[in-house]
Amino acid sequence: MAVDEEAVMWVEKYRPKKLDEVVDLKDIVDSLKAFMRNPKTMPHLLLAGIPGTGKTTVALCIARELFGQNWKTFTLELNASDERGIDTVRDRIKDFSRYSRAAFGNVPFALVILDESDQMTGPAQTALRRIMETSSRTCRFILICNYSGKIIEPIQSRCALFRFSKLDRKAMIEHLHFIAKKEKVTLAPEAAERIVDYAEGDLRHAINALQTASAYKEGVVDEKTVSQVIGEASPVQVQVMIRKALYGDYVEARKLMYELIGSYGFSGSEIVRQMQRQLFNISSLTPEQKADLSNIIGEYDYRLTQGANSDVQLSALLAQFSKVGKAKGESC
Amino acid sequence: MREDLLWVEKYRPKKIADVIGNEEAKAAFVDWLKNKRHTKKAVLLYGPPGVGKTTLVNAAANEFSLRVIEMNASDTRSEKAINAVAKPATSFVALDTFSTESKGNILFMDEVDGIAGNEDRGGVSAIVKIVEESRVPVIMAANDPELAKLRPLKKISTLIRFQQVRIPLIIAMLQKICQKEHIKAEFEALERIAQNSRGDVRSAINDLQSLGETTKTLTLQDTMMLSARNKDISMDETLRGYFSAKSLAEASALLSRSSVDYDDLMMAVADNLPLRYTDPARLAEAYDFLSQADMYRGRIGTENWHLLKYYYNSLAEAAAVQPESYKPFTFISPPIKIITLFWTKGKRTMLDSICAKIGKQCHVSRKTAKEDFIPFLKIMIAKQKATPALAWLELAPEEIDFLAKMNKF
Repeated sequence: MAVDEEAVMWVEKYRPKKLDEVVDLKDIVDSLKAFMRNPKTMPHLLLAGIPGTGKTTVALCIARELFGQNWKTFTLELNASDERGIDTVRDRIKDFSRYSRAAFGNVPFALVILDESDQMTGPAQTALRRIMETSSRTCRFILICNYSGKIIEPIQSRCALFRFSKLDRKAMIEHLHFIAKKEKVTLAPEAAERIVDYAEGDLRHAINALQTASAYKEGVVDEKTVSQVIGEASPVQVQVMIRKALYGDYVEARKLMYELIGSYGFSGSEIVRQMQRQLFNISSLTPEQKADLSNIIGEYDYRLTQGANSDVQLSALLAQFSKVGKAKGESC
Repeated sequence: MREDLLWVEKYRPKKIADVIGNEEAKAAFVDWLKNKRHTKKAVLLYGPPGVGKTTLVNAAANEFSLRVIEMNASDTRSEKAINAVAKPATSFVALDTFSTESKGNILFMDEVDGIAGNEDRGGVSAIVKIVEESRVPVIMAANDPELAKLRPLKKISTLIRFQQVRIPLIIAMLQKICQKEHIKAEFEALERIAQNSRGDVRSAINDLQSLGETTKTLTLQDTMMLSARNKDISMDETLRGYFSAKSLAEASALLSRSSVDYDDLMMAVADNLPLRYTDPARLAEAYDFLSQADMYRGRIGTENWHLLKYYYNSLAEAAAVQPESYKPFTFISPPIKIITLFWTKGKRTMLDSICAKIGKQCHVSRKTAKEDFIPFLKIMIAKQKATPALAWLELAPEEIDFLAKMNKF
């Protein structure tokens, strides 16, 4: 496998450059390679799946295989999570797709990779649909998303859909060992297992954890360091916030909520998602209480999408935690 | 000049040209004063407090060598009292002109909207009578000319409207004062004082004095307590009525009367609920109503205003969860959110720029960069193994410093 020696972050350094090198996606890769042999036949693509399963990597591989070294000239890479408004679609994509570079070799089009495209607003998607139509002779789109359901039907029907499922454990472990060997780090088997458990099928997360763990001891990554990394890297503030709410200090909990929003720029839905994750790490709650609270989080996650002011919904959610915390205190 | 003077007095302009803002009103007033053939003998200057009405009258009198006979709200203004002061001033014009340099008198009735019903019985009609009989110009000033009791005065007066003074003018004036008082002030601090004053020059100067007298340097940080001091009265009143309501009906009647913006109100209620309900179960119940109100707000968007009544209803229910437990408390204002976002803006911008750089190199969004890379990078920095990575990400020294010092989230 070719290694990008310039890149320092391992996720980039060991990001596959060719479709053949991609981890554990044989079926997808085989169909895509058929398009590569005859690029004219390539339709717009929609790559859907959970984070860290290789969607962006596959898209970048396609760009490289189509255009070779100068792929950047023929590829517009955008992240809809950063630029989700209709203006980006109108301005950047439209200009790029319309005045697209002259054909390259036997590839008669340029490429737009739109990452996290399910983050686009409805109007932006509608605008995109129109652009996909008018520019289909000069431009191909690769749309990447977590949930294909969030992409409007007319766009879905214009794309070939590829679903990326959770990466296989064994393949992930193999890949981690491959990287460790290249980096001359001894990776203990239990350590690799622990990383993969933690990453939940997200290879990017796993590689970042591995690289960070390798910073602890020269040339060795064992289970203990991995545990340390996981402890250090997991979000604490949300957990502290939940605990404060549960143990009656509502005002402090709300203050922490504003700290998360203000200092770190987390959105309401990001905080709710983290609360959902952290809930299961709170050992003092019974499984029944966790299930109840999880339900409540779900309700407020929905309300967030309906409401106008996410702080109000988060405040209300924390108050529910306080209520459960108090009932718990009285029962024992 | 005495040092213990209020700065509003110390720096009150002596010339018309030095009164800031309201150029049109100034011109109209001078024109009225100079024009001997007034169509109307009285003039009513109206507008919000602290925009220069009184100052203009005094500056003009000074410039035209007129003697001002003044009555303001601190004086009793019953018919009898007004006549006692104003009658001599308006009838015996000639006497004074010989004894002083004065070219005449003007009668200045400041704050006429402050003339009260009972104590100042007959006050308004007495003024009307004086205007009719007066041989000297009568000047009146008021904040709110729409009051019904002032209608007779409006009929007999030329109306001149004063508006809020524009922020840049206030900033420039604050800068001048700082220079004279030898205060080194950050521009942002003065800007905040000026904005906070909402065009009220007097309150801006008062704020500057209260902040600047103790220190010789004034930073943005120093101005933080300002907005807390200048509470929005109608918001405070609304909250007081809202939280003390004895029933759902009372709370919702109050909300429909209040002039407070509903989004501001929602934020204020969200901030103050924990002070109102100390029992977690009650608090959760109240917040649940607030959450429903917010959902209605979301559905209203920018067009479905017919849903506003449900919004208010849910909001009122949050106040009426446990009426019997109400005890007065001091409200939190301004909104915690606004304050937090204001003070953390620098941090957010810095973090965002770091995440954008990570995103560019690693093909991820800023959001993913923040969640999946920052925590790991922080550990590597702590282990002093991050230098190559940070260089490769092209992070600036201040960004690296920020990352190292940032609390983990």
